[in-house]
Amino acid sequence: MLDAILHSIELLMRLDTLMMMSLGLVLGILIGALPGFTTTMAMAVLLPISFFLSPVVGIPFLIGVYKGGIYGGSIPAILVGIPGTGASVATTYDGLPLTKKGQSRKALDMALAASAIGDLVASVGTVVLIGPIALVAMKFGPPELAAVMLLSMLIIAFSGTSMVIKSLMMLLLGMFFAMIGQDPIGALSRFTFGFFPIESGINLLPMLIGLFAIPEVLLSIEEKTKPFVEKSVRPEGDRLTLHELNDCRRTIARSTVLGGVIGIIPGVGQVVAALMAYAAAKTASPHPEKFGTGILEGVAAPEAANNAVNGPTMVPLLTLGIPGDNITAILLGAFVVQGLRPGPQLFAQQAPLIYAILFSMIIACGLLYVLGYLLIPLFSKVVMIRKAYLVPLTIVFAFVGTYVYRSNVFDLYFLIFFGLLGYAARKLSFDVTPMVMAFILTPVLEYSLGQSILLSQGHLFHYVVIERPLALVIILATPPLTYLMWYRTRKLRNPDPVNGPEPLPVKQ
Amino acid sequence: MSHVSRRIFVAAAAAAGVALGSAAAPAEDYPAKPITMIIPLGAGGSHDLNARVMTSVLPTYLGEPVVVQLMPGASGRIGTAAAAKSKPDGYTLLFTHNFIDELQQYVTKLPYDPNKDFVVVARTNYAPPSVVVRSDSPYKTLKDLLDAAKKNPGKIKFGHSGNWGATMVPGAALLQAAGVKMTLVPYKGGGPAMRGLLSGDVDFTVAFPSVITSQGDKVRTLVTLADKRVFKDVPTSGEAGYPNVASIATMQRIVLAPAGIPADRLAKLRAGFAKMSKDKTYMKLLKKLDENDEFMSGDQYQTMREKQDKSYAALVKALTK
Repeated sequence: MLDAILHSIELLMRLDTLMMMSLGLVLGILIGALPGFTTTMAMAVLLPISFFLSPVVGIPFLIGVYKGGIYGGSIPAILVGIPGTGASVATTYDGLPLTKKGQSRKALDMALAASAIGDLVASVGTVVLIGPIALVAMKFGPPELAAVMLLSMLIIAFSGTSMVIKSLMMLLLGMFFAMIGQDPIGALSRFTFGFFPIESGINLLPMLIGLFAIPEVLLSIEEKTKPFVEKSVRPEGDRLTLHELNDCRRTIARSTVLGGVIGIIPGVGQVVAALMAYAAAKTASPHPEKFGTGILEGVAAPEAANNAVNGPTMVPLLTLGIPGDNITAILLGAFVVQGLRPGPQLFAQQAPLIYAILFSMIIACGLLYVLGYLLIPLFSKVVMIRKAYLVPLTIVFAFVGTYVYRSNVFDLYFLIFFGLLGYAARKLSFDVTPMVMAFILTPVLEYSLGQSILLSQGHLFHYVVIERPLALVIILATPPLTYLMWYRTRKLRNPDPVNGPEPLPVKQ
Repeated sequence: MSHVSRRIFVAAAAAAGVALGSAAAPAEDYPAKPITMIIPLGAGGSHDLNARVMTSVLPTYLGEPVVVQLMPGASGRIGTAAAAKSKPDGYTLLFTHNFIDELQQYVTKLPYDPNKDFVVVARTNYAPPSVVVRSDSPYKTLKDLLDAAKKNPGKIKFGHSGNWGATMVPGAALLQAAGVKMTLVPYKGGGPAMRGLLSGDVDFTVAFPSVITSQGDKVRTLVTLADKRVFKDVPTSGEAGYPNVASIATMQRIVLAPAGIPADRLAKLRAGFAKMSKDKTYMKLLKKLDENDEFMSGDQYQTMREKQDKSYAALVKALTK
């Protein structure tokens, strides 16, 4: 194995590998920063370029696009509050308030540092533990996945800033929205009233942009006298200091572990990792009330977690040849065209090449930091745009971003609908996070529950208790964990909505 | 410019075309602007990969880039409906497969009629599915598996890629022909179904050659549901005694155009795709993807398509009664 590793380093030390990886990273960051262009789309479009490059150049190029894209989504989330992807929803909570306080540069730096560190540590962990990770990933079948989904939804609902009953209402609303369209198992239409455009259901992107960007625009129009960023000589503020980064080390470490573990479970992904890490950081913090007001930990937590997911998601692809999500499916295509068939055979036959690709993931983290550091001053200039231009520009980006995603005019109606819903929720102190979480997780929960019932052949209880010990453990752990999350954050919620103290600002 | 770098340039130009959109040139000859090819499926699937190979070669023969537009949703119905509604001017094509094309009409109500709204440009190739079990499975042959299913109806679990999807239809066609009942467990795609097989959640699945080869000795192939053998020692469904399964079970990758396309434009497209199928780079890339390059002309496929129409009507009727 040592031989293979040494040989792999030799393979990677080429200028063109580093150049193409850098190009991939820059393209990824730029595309990830544009709302509506997802990392998956960027990779699908750039895939053919890799067909004509050698494997140690083409695949690192795509890995660069992948990592750059996941980071790039945090840029509009911080600067204008548009989450370009689901993975950066939690980044808007503290990212945008930081921008408004005139600290956008710090926030962008923190997002970059947390992303690079989370990604690096998780990638190294993946290289070292690839065997055990592959074994654990195999244990997660449909019943386990269903249990994890349920746990995630409950934790988010019970650790939110609004009252638990309100959070549960939003959770149910999110579940309802998720059920519109075809049911995932039997492909029957639900709640469509025979209306074809909603057959495929509501898309995530119009919902996210609507819920997060539109209320922000409406609110800033309301407060028209206030400038978007408080006046100062340098509205983008100072760079992040080492001291500030050091203060967040516990948050980054926690998020990295959480993100890494979530990355191992097939079918969960970046969105859940980021939201769970944010909730965990808030619960563990001595000052949970400051989350959502613009603190650096609130940016570090989701960003470290969503990038930490990247490394472990490669494991099922490399060890089984089975892609865990769309992004790794595209990588699979790139491998196969190069004549490499990921799977149990590949490690035996092409160990140096596989290690070279794994190491390129680690090198990509370093390059991501360097390139991001160079690009941030450019991005942070966005806040210098006058509000009179920035607000209309945000609207344009919100609508264009929603439309380009799949060229469906109907998505724009949903954008407007969710924009108004998000605005109403803000005014009435409803936290929309549980709704988004439920919307994303309900199809997965429903699917895996349906699969579990079919697998159990009608004896679900018996099946889980006897044949699925891991699922049973997760189900039994759900009530105490939910209680813990509720208990640690209970002071955040206003016990008496009529006469109680001033309600806390709802997270954005 | 070398051959390889020219290819990169074409690919990059196609990529730029997606990002920027291209201005239409007011010219008489067709094609005068990039052609959009709708895929009613998601990114990263086998159709997407096939399309990426096609679009990196097609510009050489059509003179304009072909831009892939992914429109997934509602089991392929969203993208198909969009293609059916688009102007029949030859600038919008649909790259789909037979299960979406001819089978969906019997499963649900469609806002289009596949037989009236589309004409066939070409069948680019086909994908032969095979029945696989784990290598430690007690089922050594197809007969073992089907006998066990006959003995215990509903006990054996068949993991597939989703209802009416690429690996469900072939499996269901075989079960229907053999007259056995099993528990069908849907997964979100062929990859997760293979994972379900490997982890022991299900007893068998149906998969395509590239997936099977990459699993090495972890899986055993029992039968290939096609007319020609893919693996030397594995019989075809016809050889195993089910002669009518292959024509329904094989996935045909087809390019359609909205009906009403001017005849000269259709002819140009058909000629372009035919030339593409002989391109060396195209054949090489497909081979690496473990895909065959068994091209079939639009006319020829139309005959086959009409036959499929009838078989699917019967299959769905048998499965949903």
